[in-house]
Amino acid sequence: MTARVLFPILIASMHGAGAQAGQVTKDAPELAGVYRIIASGTTLPGGLKNAGSPADLVLLPAAAQQIKSVDLKQDPAKLCSPVGPFRMMAWEQNKIELIPAHGMIVMLFEDLSHGVMRTIYLNRGHVEKFEANWMGDSVGRWEGNTLVVDTVGFNDKTWLNSAGAQHSDALHLVERIRPVLDGKYLEYKVTAEDPKTLAKPFTYTRYYEKLKGEIQENVCEGEE
Amino acid sequence: MKIACRGVLAIIITFALTGLAHAQSQEAPQPPDWTGFYTEARGKNLKGLKQVSPDLSEVITGHLQPWARAKMEATDGVADDTGAICQPDGVFRYPVNAQNPGSFLWLAAADKIVIVSFQINTAGVQRIYLNRGHPKNLLPTWNGDSIGHWEGDTLVADTIGFNDKSWLHPAMQPHTEEAHLIERFRQVSNGGSNFLEMAATVEDRKALTSAFTFTRYFRKTGESMPENICNDDIEIWRNFKNKAPKRDEKRAQEVR
Repeated sequence: MTARVLFPILIASMHGAGAQAGQVTKDAPELAGVYRIIASGTTLPGGLKNAGSPADLVLLPAAAQQIKSVDLKQDPAKLCSPVGPFRMMAWEQNKIELIPAHGMIVMLFEDLSHGVMRTIYLNRGHVEKFEANWMGDSVGRWEGNTLVVDTVGFNDKTWLNSAGAQHSDALHLVERIRPVLDGKYLEYKVTAEDPKTLAKPFTYTRYYEKLKGEIQENVCEGEE
Repeated sequence: MKIACRGVLAIIITFALTGLAHAQSQEAPQPPDWTGFYTEARGKNLKGLKQVSPDLSEVITGHLQPWARAKMEATDGVADDTGAICQPDGVFRYPVNAQNPGSFLWLAAADKIVIVSFQINTAGVQRIYLNRGHPKNLLPTWNGDSIGHWEGDTLVADTIGFNDKSWLHPAMQPHTEEAHLIERFRQVSNGGSNFLEMAATVEDRKALTSAFTFTRYFRKTGESMPENICNDDIEIWRNFKNKAPKRDEKRAQEVR
């Protein structure tokens, strides 16, 4: 009798040290950490490499015409302004920190002026009557070990690339983020849709290496 | 047979108790989780709590060394205010801005506490590392290098490595690279409400005659931190920057 009582206690005591609060789902991986984009031309084991570039997107005729009159001096990147998630996630040397919190994942950028921060909500759908802003409204869900992020609600102040490709407030991003190569890297795929400016949805892929280092202070202190 | 059963039982009990004791010794007390979006409580929202140094500008000015006071008086409150043109202005001002209550997102990671200022373009992000000391040969930065440890339910953050470009307060009291910020965060209850108390001490042997201290109280809003981009309109920002009076470099040099 005594033994029957003690065995569950024994099992529970063995489990106790390993049990942690804050588990999300069975398959949700631990994404917390600091990551840096791999350089173009790098090929990871398994042939994984960056693909596509915001420079290659195909614009609708009106948008293609509009880009010819864009003043490149007004590039938000040259004004210490946010460049928007689509452009930032392909940014050379981009370094991010992912911090899971209660019902959300916060993405902080080392280049604070251009990337700022994003909040990906895991516990709600898109906000109705969302007031358009620079980062949009991001909601995420887990598909196995892949975080799928859906973002709408952008203002039209950012550009899609350094050539001045504009987007509208109908811009819609779907990002798929998952750990690869034993969690040493993140695979990041984004598809942008904008029926008002893009001829067709455009996708690019980037890989981010998980770092042991820290995010450093990096702020834009004047026009570049 | 009976003896054998007792022996087995004794082994099981010993193993179980050893396991429990081991698990307890392995489980350090969990630090409190204060994740959330906070905004500074003022006036009636303080529910009777008393701030230390409510008139902080006056307190800081009273602690300035003569050269620092002269520099403050020679400083243009607009042209020299980097925060006014959406550039970084350091961590000292975010909780004490006279016009807007300080607000921040508090996040807890495995190895650090992260405080994301609502004024993210200007006050930025403070990362308080819990598992290391200050690095040697720190390069001065706007927000310095923060390390922390728990003293019971109080988080003690120690920050050094500041550059000398920011001001201690919107009234433009200067500091040097010797500035040292010690913050003690803890949860307090008053009037039926919970507050996050920040008790801060600022030392700077080159700019201050002695350290000054202040406390501020913050309440969790229960909401998400909204986006807040400082240069929300590029044209306004550029025009403002171009029209802002230039710093009187000659005068500034004279008071150094």
